[in-house]
Amino acid sequence: MKRQIKALGLVILLCYLALFLKLNQVQVLEAQSLSDRPDNTRQLQRDFNQPRGDIVSADQQLVATSVDVHAPLRYQRRYPTRDLFSAVTGYYSFTLGSDGVERSYNEELAGRTASLRLHRLSGFFSDSSSEGNVVLTVRQDLQQTAKDALGDRPGSVVALDPRTGAILAMWSNPTFDPNAVSNNDTKAAKAAKDLYEQAAANPMLPKAYRERYFPGSTFKVVTATAGLTSGKVTTTTPEFPVVTSYTPPGTSHAISNFDGMACGGTLFTVLARSCNSSFAQMAAEVTGPDPMVAAAEAAGFNQAPPIDLPRPAASAYPTDFGKVTQRPDGKAPVYESTAMLALTGIGQGDVRSTPLQMALVAAGVGNRGEIMTPHVMAEIKARDGEVVQRYRTSPWKESMTPEIAATLREGMIGVVTGGTAQIMQTPGWEVGAKTGTAQLGVKPPRSHGWMIAFAGPPGEPAHVAVAVIVQDLPGVGDETGGTTAGPVAKAVLDKALAVLG
Amino acid sequence: MTATVTAEVSSTVRSTGKRRRTTELGLLVLAVIIILGAYALASLGRNASLPADIWPFLVVLLALLVGAHVANRRLARCADSLLLPIAALLNGIGYVFIARLDKDLAALQASWTAVGIGAYVATLVVIRDVRVLQRYRYTAGLVGVVLLVMPLFPVLGRNINGARIWVSLGPVGFQPGEIAKIAFAIFFAGYLVERRELLGVATFRVGPFNTPDPKHFAPILLAWGISLVVLIFQRDLGSALLFFLLFVIMIWVGTGRVSYLVVGSVLFLIGAFASWKAFGHVRRRVDVWINPWADPHGSGYQIIQAAYALAWGGTSGVGPGLGIAGRIPYDSTDFIFAVIGEELGLLGTTAVLCAFLLLAGSGLRIARESRDPFPALLAVGLTVLIAFQAFVIMGGVTRLLPLTGVTLPFVSYGGSSLVSNYVLLALLVRISDQTARRGPDRLLVR
Repeated sequence: MKRQIKALGLVILLCYLALFLKLNQVQVLEAQSLSDRPDNTRQLQRDFNQPRGDIVSADQQLVATSVDVHAPLRYQRRYPTRDLFSAVTGYYSFTLGSDGVERSYNEELAGRTASLRLHRLSGFFSDSSSEGNVVLTVRQDLQQTAKDALGDRPGSVVALDPRTGAILAMWSNPTFDPNAVSNNDTKAAKAAKDLYEQAAANPMLPKAYRERYFPGSTFKVVTATAGLTSGKVTTTTPEFPVVTSYTPPGTSHAISNFDGMACGGTLFTVLARSCNSSFAQMAAEVTGPDPMVAAAEAAGFNQAPPIDLPRPAASAYPTDFGKVTQRPDGKAPVYESTAMLALTGIGQGDVRSTPLQMALVAAGVGNRGEIMTPHVMAEIKARDGEVVQRYRTSPWKESMTPEIAATLREGMIGVVTGGTAQIMQTPGWEVGAKTGTAQLGVKPPRSHGWMIAFAGPPGEPAHVAVAVIVQDLPGVGDETGGTTAGPVAKAVLDKALAVLG
Repeated sequence: MTATVTAEVSSTVRSTGKRRRTTELGLLVLAVIIILGAYALASLGRNASLPADIWPFLVVLLALLVGAHVANRRLARCADSLLLPIAALLNGIGYVFIARLDKDLAALQASWTAVGIGAYVATLVVIRDVRVLQRYRYTAGLVGVVLLVMPLFPVLGRNINGARIWVSLGPVGFQPGEIAKIAFAIFFAGYLVERRELLGVATFRVGPFNTPDPKHFAPILLAWGISLVVLIFQRDLGSALLFFLLFVIMIWVGTGRVSYLVVGSVLFLIGAFASWKAFGHVRRRVDVWINPWADPHGSGYQIIQAAYALAWGGTSGVGPGLGIAGRIPYDSTDFIFAVIGEELGLLGTTAVLCAFLLLAGSGLRIARESRDPFPALLAVGLTVLIAFQAFVIMGGVTRLLPLTGVTLPFVSYGGSSLVSNYVLLALLVRISDQTARRGPDRLLVR
C-alpha cells in the first residue's frame, strides 16, 4: 500500500505541475496576446467605468473632461473647447481608440501610474479614485489667436518656447471636433469618423506634427548652418554671383530666382533676399553633401522628434547623393545627384518637413544652437491639485555650435530688418525670421507659404519660436510666404510675447 | 519491558504533541496576518479606505481559528500541524475574494465558516477513534447512496443552473453530494480493507493475463454505475468524475493491483465517450474546451472571460480589489480561482496551488504513517477528494481540462462544500492524531 501511496503522491504532483505550466502559459507567455484580443474589452470597459482625469491648458482652460452619463459605459469624454485643441488632445473613443494626449498620457489620465496611486493612498482624506489631470504647456489664448489668424485657409501653426521645448500653440486647419468621435454611442462615433475621413483634407490628422511638406526657402537656414559649420561659408566669403538663375553641374535644369529677379552677394544678403541661385550653389558647390546631411540631421531631420504625442512624423532629408562623377579643376566635385543636392539647398527636391520640425529649426537658432525636447505636458496633478509629476526638460539636439547660432541669429534678424520678413518687425523685441515659398507645381503654379521665426529680448535666448504654413496657395512669388504665413506668425508671436513676456 | 516502552512512547508523544501544537499556532498567526492583510488591501484597492469592519473581522477570525486550535489541543493533541493552518488560509483568502465580489454572499460565507468549524470540532468530539467508522462501513455506503439520490426526489430536489444536486429542507438548501463523498470514502476504505486479500489475488485467467475473480469487480462496476447516475440524472460532471477517481484510486491503493487502474481507465473512457455521444451538455463542454472562441458570447463566454482575467493578472496581479469584478459568471463559486488569478497574478495562483499540494502531501504522509490499513486507506480517499477536486476545477478554469463545475475546496463560496470539507479535515486530523499517539511504525520497530 505504501508504494501505491508514494505513486499517488507523484501523480498528484504531476497533475499540479501541469496546472502550474498551464498557468504560466495563460498568465505570462500568452497574457499579452490574450489581453490584446479585439474581443477583450477588459481594459476599455474598466477605463470607461471610472472617472478619467481632465486635460487643462496652460492658462487654466478646461480642455477635456469626463462626464458621468449614467449609462452602461458610465463616463463619456467631453471637450468644452470643441475643435480648438484637437491637434493636441486627440480623442478618446470606446470604439475608435484614442489619439493625442489622450493616448500618450492614458496611464496618467486613468490614474494607473505608481505616483498617482501612491498619492491617493497617502492623502489625509483618501480619494476614491486616483485619476490624474494633465496640465498642458499649450495655451488657449494662443490657440485661439492661431485659429483666428489662419482662418479658413488650410495650414498649421506651431509655437514653442525654445528655452524649454514647451509647445505653446499647435493648430491645424481643417480639424475635427473630438466630441463627435468620442461619443460612447458606437454608431454616432463611427458616423462622425466616416464623415471626417471622406473630407478631402483629412481633418483628423494632426498635420502640425504628423504631416510633411516641402519646407521651401525656410530650409535655407539649415543650408546656411551646413555652410557655416563646414567652414566654407562665412559672412564675407564667398560672394555669390548676382544672377537670375543657377544651373547645377550635371543637369540642364536651371533653378531660378522668383520673378526672374537678379540676386546674389554674401551670406546675410542672400539670406535676407532669399536668393535661390545662391543657396542652390552653396549646397551643390560650396558645402557639399556630407555637411548638408550632417546639418539636416543635427537639426532633427530623418528622426521622429521625441515629442510626448503619438506617432510623430520624421522629417526627411536625403542621405545619399551618389558617387563623384567629375572633379573639375578648382571647383567642387560633382556627384551623381548634385542636381538634387542643389534643390535640397532651397528646401525642394526630396526634402520634407513637418511644421513642428521647422519650428524646432528656428528654436535652435534662437536658443544658441540647442534644440530642447518638444513637449505638450507641463505637469500631472492629482485630484487634490497637488503636482505629482512635472515634465523634465532635456536637450534633444545640438543643431549648431553657439558661435554659428549667434552668426545665423544675426542673419535671420537681418531678414526681418531689411529682407523678405519685414512684416515680423516687433518694437522692443529682437526677431529673427525666414520666409518660405515651397513650389508645388507649375501648371497652374501653386505653393505653400511658410514663415519661421523666433523672438526674444535683445541678445538673450529667444522666448518664442513659431512655424506657420499656409498650404496650397495659388501662384508662386518670393513674397508669398511673407504675405500669407507672415501675418499669422506675427499675430501668434505678438500674442505669445504679450502673455509670456 | 512493556512498561518502559509504553512510558518512552508516551513521553515522546507528549513532546511531539506539544511541538506540533506550537507550530500550528505559529502558522495560524501567519495565516491570520496574511488574511487580514489581503482583506485590508482589497478594501483599499476598491474604496481607498480600510474596511469599516476590520476589527470585528479580526475578532471573529481569531475566535474561529483559536476555537479550532483549542479543540486540536484538547481533542487531537498530536495531530499534524499543517492541516488546520492551510485550510484556514485557503478559507480566509476565499472569504476575502468573496467579500470583494459580493458583500451579501460574504456574510453567508462567514456564517458557513462558523458552521464548518463547528462541524470540525463536533467531528473531533464525536469520533475519538477513527477505526470505529470501519464498523459502520455499510451504513456509510447506504447513507452515501441516499444522500446522492436525494436531489432526485420530486419534493426535496431542486434544479439549479441545470444541475439537480440541491436539496431544500425548509429555508436551507444544501448539496448532499458533498457529504456523500465522505460517506463513500468511509464505505470504500472499510470495504476494501475487509476484502483486500480477495481482491488482490489473481486467480482468474483471461488469455495471458491473470486477473482477480470478476465477481470482485462488482464494487468498481457499482462505482461506475453511481458515477453514471450522477452524470445522467444530475448533470453534475465534476462530481461524477470525482466519485470515479475516488473509487478507482482507492481500489488500486488498497489492493496494490494496477489492473484495477487499467480496467478503471477503460471504463472511464467508455463512459466518457458514451456520454459525449449521448449528451449535448457533455459535448458542449468538450467543444468549449477545444475552442471557446467558436461561440465567444454564448457557451464560450465564461471560459474566455476567465482566461482574460488570468491574463490580465499576469505575473503579479492587478492588486486585490483592483480587478474588474462581475465579468465572469459564477465568479464567487466555481470561478473564484480566475478572480484570484486576476488580482494576485501567477504568484497568487501558484500560492493557492502550493497550499493544495501541501494539503495533499500532508494527507498522504498521514496515510503512509498509519499502521492500520483502514485509517491509512481512509486518509488516501479523503486526500484524493480534496486534491483532485481542487485540480479538476483549477484545471477547468485554466482550460487545462474540460470545465466541470465543482467548488474549489475551502476557497469557493458554498455552505455544503465548506462544511463537508471541514468534516473531511477533522477526519484527517483525527487519523494523524491517532497515528502519532500510538506511535508510527518505525517507533515501535525500534
